[in-house]
Amino acid sequence: MADRRRINGPVGATTPPIFDKPAAPVPAKTRDAIRKIFLKTGITPSASGSAYLELENPNPKKLGNTSLKLSCTVHGPRALPRSAPFSPHIILTTHVKYAPFATRQRRGYLRDSSERDLGVHLETALRGAIIADRWPKSGVDIIVTVVEGDQDRDSPESQKDDEGWDMMNVLSGCITVASAAIADAGIDCVDTVAGGVAALVCKDDKTAPTIVMDPIVAEHGSILAACCVAYLPTRDEITNMWFKGRLPGSDMMVYDKLMEKSLVACRCANRVIVQELNETVRKSQEIS
Amino acid sequence: MATAKSLTLSSTTFAKLSPHPYLLANLQPSDPSTTPTRTNGRQPSETRTPYINTSSLSHAHGSAVVRNGDTTVICGVRGETILTALGRPQLLLDEARDYDLLVPNIELATGCAPNFLPGVPPTTLAQTLSTRIYSLLHSSKLVDVSRLRIYPEEVGEKNTGDDDEKMDEAEETDEYAVTEEKAVKAYWVLYIDVLFISFDGNPFDTAWTAILAALRDTKLPLAYWDADREMVLCKRSEKEAAPLNLRGLPVACTGAVFTEKEKQKKGSGLYWVLVDPDRLEEGLCDETVTVVVDKLGGSTKILGISKHGGTVVGPELMRKVVATAESRWDQVRAAIE
Repeated sequence: MADRRRINGPVGATTPPIFDKPAAPVPAKTRDAIRKIFLKTGITPSASGSAYLELENPNPKKLGNTSLKLSCTVHGPRALPRSAPFSPHIILTTHVKYAPFATRQRRGYLRDSSERDLGVHLETALRGAIIADRWPKSGVDIIVTVVEGDQDRDSPESQKDDEGWDMMNVLSGCITVASAAIADAGIDCVDTVAGGVAALVCKDDKTAPTIVMDPIVAEHGSILAACCVAYLPTRDEITNMWFKGRLPGSDMMVYDKLMEKSLVACRCANRVIVQELNETVRKSQEIS
Repeated sequence: MATAKSLTLSSTTFAKLSPHPYLLANLQPSDPSTTPTRTNGRQPSETRTPYINTSSLSHAHGSAVVRNGDTTVICGVRGETILTALGRPQLLLDEARDYDLLVPNIELATGCAPNFLPGVPPTTLAQTLSTRIYSLLHSSKLVDVSRLRIYPEEVGEKNTGDDDEKMDEAEETDEYAVTEEKAVKAYWVLYIDVLFISFDGNPFDTAWTAILAALRDTKLPLAYWDADREMVLCKRSEKEAAPLNLRGLPVACTGAVFTEKEKQKKGSGLYWVLVDPDRLEEGLCDETVTVVVDKLGGSTKILGISKHGGTVVGPELMRKVVATAESRWDQVRAAIE
């Protein structure tokens, strides 16, 4: 049944535009670095803490074109409702929601399974970083809105989204932006957690697969495996790891290498967080 | 921090404990030398300057980010196609409404303010806003429906601009004599989604400004009905993508009425009309007036007036609000263009 609390549009099914000619393929580039990250805290003044993250698009079609856009708000710590049972530490609630215009296919307003999945991964990643027993009987809500997903608009329609490789990049972005927002909210953490992705890609069947950091799904012929890690650099600890795909059996070291590459990506992202937080502190000191 | 020890309260504490007297004290200062202002430092009829940025999203056909003070809104417009019932003559007076071609939705549950958290069904405010935007979109006839029609492919005729004109002429002269080739096969449906990133009052005006800016930015690819494949196809080239044809530039302006006493009857006590209210002011005012005006083409046209709650605003005051809306129109137009 249609949701009567929203405006649902025409009764029949609508189809997204189908083009008569396939789009030009995205030129593959070999980079040995992650994409540039733009991070800013304090974009929602009414929330306890907030942050906004944007990734650079290496193949811009028009001026100012960026690929991944995330906005995160943190509400709390605040008292749990009276009906809630006693909790000796803070209760973390995470929500990840795509905007309807975030991906190639229009998303509905109800959270689907992939969004819930991202929420669970984000929660485990953050729970290891927050010093939870400093706030007994309280809760905190962390909400990440994916304003734009990490998909190329013109990549061929044959490349199905249901493989979900882009979800890895979205998750790593979610971890990074949520970490900055938590720090902005003044919630004590052992370290700023950051997310990073590495993937094993190959151009075609003949060439040997290579490991890349921060893979752009549209650029690569096929992705064999990908790994998303949430990492605390100063303590050298991993709070969450998500590995997906199939590794070729010949090389046993490839798994370790994939992990190491994602850790490098994590360290790069962490540097951006630290720099932005320093900037925020400096600005607030200038005012007072 | 130091004020916590002494008996005087800091202004932020005062605002939290008793917001109504706090706003009243600001508007009615005991010391006559200080000018009365609102808590946010604005004059009662002073609005916040909007900042607009368009075409920042790549998956939407048109998009805009509007920042009005601390209220930030993202609007994305996305076109999808729907087939019409074949052989149905287009005798409808209002195709956009009858076929439901405009689908606006406002999403507040993004954690944009502490009272809007996700995981719950749309709040009353979100539902009201969506419905008000929906009715304003239709009543103002902002989007030209002729641009949303999709016709069969014209063989050997390249100039589509000419084609459209001919089509319009044909309709004007004789609507009933629509030939089989000229029949509308499909329509574009515009999904207009508004997302609040940050919320600090005046959601309707900001959402409407974002929708207006996003629709002005919208470029739909050239679509045609392919008879062989029996489906709607679009041309890939960006050059053939055409903008929507918008009628006018309606701008909404909201004022909230703040009364001296919390429960006040008409004709007693003082009141202020606070234009472009923020979150604190919205919580203290029962009565709001929204006027939608369009000054494009010289004279001011009023496209809609809505007033909720309270009995303070009469015809006299309504004229003043319209005058404020006129100056607001200039401000928004400057930001949009």
